[in-house]
Amino acid sequence: MRVLRFLLRRLLQLVPVLLGVVVVTFLLVRVLPGDPIRTILGPNATEADAAAARARFGLDQPLWRQFLDYVGGLFTGDFGTSIQSGTSVGAEMAVRIGPTMELVVIALTVALVLAVVLGIWSARNAGRFGDHTVRVAALVGNSVPEFWLGLVLILVGYSVLGWFPAPSGRVDPGTDLTLITGADLLDAALTANGPAFVSALEHLALPVATLVIAIVAPLLRSVRASALEVLASEAYTAAAAHGLKDRLLLRGYLVRAALVRLPALAALVFGFSIGSTVLVEYVFSWQGFGQWALRGLLYRDYPVVQASVLVIALFYVVVFLIADVVHAILDPRVRI
Amino acid sequence: MPGFSHPHGPGSPALSRRSILQLGGGVALLFATGCAAGTKAGDPAPAASTAPGGSDAPAARALRIAVGSYLSSWDQDFVGFDLTALMLYKNVFPYMIDYGVTSVGGGQILDTEAIAPTFAESFEPDADNKVWTLKLRRGVKFASGNEMTAEDVKWSKDRAFAAKANVAGIYRLIGLTKADQVEVVDDYTVRFTQAFPSALTRQIQAISLYVFDSQEAKKHITDDDPWAKEWFAKNPPTGGYFNVDKAVQGQEILLSANTGYPGTDGAKSSQIRITVVPAASNQRLQLQNGDIDIALGIGQRDIKDLKTTPGIKVISAPSNNQLAIQMSVTTAPFDDPAVRKALAQAVPYEQIIANVYGGDARPTRSIVPLDMPGYSESGYPYTHDVAKAKETLAGAGKTSITSELVFQTDSEEQQQIAVLVQSEARKAGIELKLTPLDPATLAERREKKNIPLQITLGQLWVNDVEYMLGTSFTKGANLNYSNYVNDEIEKIFEESHTVVDEAERAKLWLRVQEIMAEDVPWVVICQPNFNLPVREEVGGWVQPMDGLARLRYLSVTG
Repeated sequence: MRVLRFLLRRLLQLVPVLLGVVVVTFLLVRVLPGDPIRTILGPNATEADAAAARARFGLDQPLWRQFLDYVGGLFTGDFGTSIQSGTSVGAEMAVRIGPTMELVVIALTVALVLAVVLGIWSARNAGRFGDHTVRVAALVGNSVPEFWLGLVLILVGYSVLGWFPAPSGRVDPGTDLTLITGADLLDAALTANGPAFVSALEHLALPVATLVIAIVAPLLRSVRASALEVLASEAYTAAAAHGLKDRLLLRGYLVRAALVRLPALAALVFGFSIGSTVLVEYVFSWQGFGQWALRGLLYRDYPVVQASVLVIALFYVVVFLIADVVHAILDPRVRI
Repeated sequence: MPGFSHPHGPGSPALSRRSILQLGGGVALLFATGCAAGTKAGDPAPAASTAPGGSDAPAARALRIAVGSYLSSWDQDFVGFDLTALMLYKNVFPYMIDYGVTSVGGGQILDTEAIAPTFAESFEPDADNKVWTLKLRRGVKFASGNEMTAEDVKWSKDRAFAAKANVAGIYRLIGLTKADQVEVVDDYTVRFTQAFPSALTRQIQAISLYVFDSQEAKKHITDDDPWAKEWFAKNPPTGGYFNVDKAVQGQEILLSANTGYPGTDGAKSSQIRITVVPAASNQRLQLQNGDIDIALGIGQRDIKDLKTTPGIKVISAPSNNQLAIQMSVTTAPFDDPAVRKALAQAVPYEQIIANVYGGDARPTRSIVPLDMPGYSESGYPYTHDVAKAKETLAGAGKTSITSELVFQTDSEEQQQIAVLVQSEARKAGIELKLTPLDPATLAERREKKNIPLQITLGQLWVNDVEYMLGTSFTKGANLNYSNYVNDEIEKIFEESHTVVDEAERAKLWLRVQEIMAEDVPWVVICQPNFNLPVREEVGGWVQPMDGLARLRYLSVTG
């Protein structure tokens, strides 16, 4: 019951947060210099043509009316019509979110596993060659720009070694994958399409590796630092002095205590990863949410920008909510 | 009070390793079952394409083309300046007439002066060149099975006028401003009655006479959407040289040849796969590895390397793409013609051609593009001469001036040009602040006409000076970023509407260039050549003078 109450309270807190995001985004995108209508008109368009196009998208209405129409639409699940494509923003977004979330979730999961395993191993071998190697490697990975790293991985993995497929899409078109969620790997599993599953995995390998290398360093450093603190703590020293088995020490005293800080950091890294996908998607021809949102911003496609910011904000708050719950599970001192 | 998260003791985590393994095993089993089900006995073996490093290879070899972006919409009446979309429309819409093909210097180019019927039977004017009659071929069908009739043409043009966008804008140049100027004569005949005769009619109709399947469209109209915009934005048109078999938003488009094309120049390739590969470096790698046949998005630097890469040929052809710096003639200091001349003398033309284009561009001597009928060497008498530029500036009573120079933020090429111009202009006393702008900001500032100097690179859809004046050098013209107005030019433009005789038109264009040489609204830098890297197996490329590839001519062997 306590958990449910906590979740309910936090979910209710989402409402003012998201409303604030809606208002601020609606205003900011219109304050930005740039005219979305002129980008969709031909070279011979007159002022009258531009006015007709403005009216088509409701941009001739006063700002308050536009806002009410937008918010009214949100309540019915209507994110508006894209100025660039003339199609429903909700429908466009539906096919874009899946691929990006699949990429980010898999990359974050792999990064978390790597960070936990290597971070704890590194802390237990602090000061040794292996520890230095892991730390330096993580830092180097973190310092390399994602787009450059992606290009290098493509050059080596696809062009030189030929181990991975061409960076042009997310799954081989010949596999006839039926899209359900837009996340190809998941859809392949749901539709029991083996070739598509294998193909999606192959296509995911390099972009996931790029993202993992870019995000693993802060996670690893956090785990290592926490583990070092635990290793130096009186409780751990006492347990070790009592001659407990190494496995019990690791499982019972070290791992869980070392992971306490990880959920909050992972939530932050999740947000960072969504930002990073813009470049990763570009390099790997991924055509996900990041590329879609970026194009919307470049062309001031108001409904697209509004929808993408709102969805990112929603992801952020939900992920932080999950992080808080996980934190409470890991740390008995935390009460919710 | 214990926290909810701690029902077990410290040594007994809420999620045990065993439960994680069980969960993981379950998921793995689910996937494995899925994979097995997907490859059960009796199914055809997975395509060879699933092997890493290779792309799919249909039984009949499809031509594979990489483009930089997916099209923004399938609805040509409401699309913006989207080159991928415009190129696709040329191939999937039934255009009634189109440019012919001519051979030049061993290559083939679209002949803008020989426009011929394609899906139409004929398109001819009356004696006054004012009333044009379009006769349709019988038995031409859309993918729906509906026959293309005069009603489809009429509905399509009504829609274009109602859209008040692309076609409606361009039709004004030939005196078509109202839907009732387009009339159905019978099932296979449509009459266009222009307000005045025009030498541009064929050219304008070549880019505007595309036809929708109106019977199909009418199934999707609603009270709120009487022109089925929502449906056409998402659903590809049919009936052109190619039909769209499959379109995966943002990723790929599969085209198949329209076997019902009634003419003799049907598509050479039965299937074309267009994939979206935004990064030019990836297009290059895939071309080198043989995973694509044509790369429509590779930059100048890569092209230089690809010229010597085995298995790849670079198709090179002169183009009417024109690189210029447009100066706002209503904004100080460029409201003074002497200052404009000074800048024209400070620009390092040869250096730009050599350094930015590796010599792969043509110097030009007129504001009228090379290869456009009427081009004259007298149109732009300015060359790079910093001393002379200083002198000209001093003649205008100035020793130094400052301005911003705007260019597109995503164009590496324009950035290089801007830096070279900045460096040389500084020597002449012209200090330029470089301002890269994103597409929306650029569009807005262009609309407001408040950019003092901007780099432009583009080509005109219609290879004619009248069209050039109408779009770029007359009052209120949308591409007239210079805000240039000259009464004599306005008069010539008006006069040209009704002058059909070629010799008479040539005289008008000569005078236009004399005026422009004196007024210098643009710094005309050069015309970069068109370069297209393709696999050696690709044949049949026809250089499109409007920049929009006609895929029907392309074929691939092997």
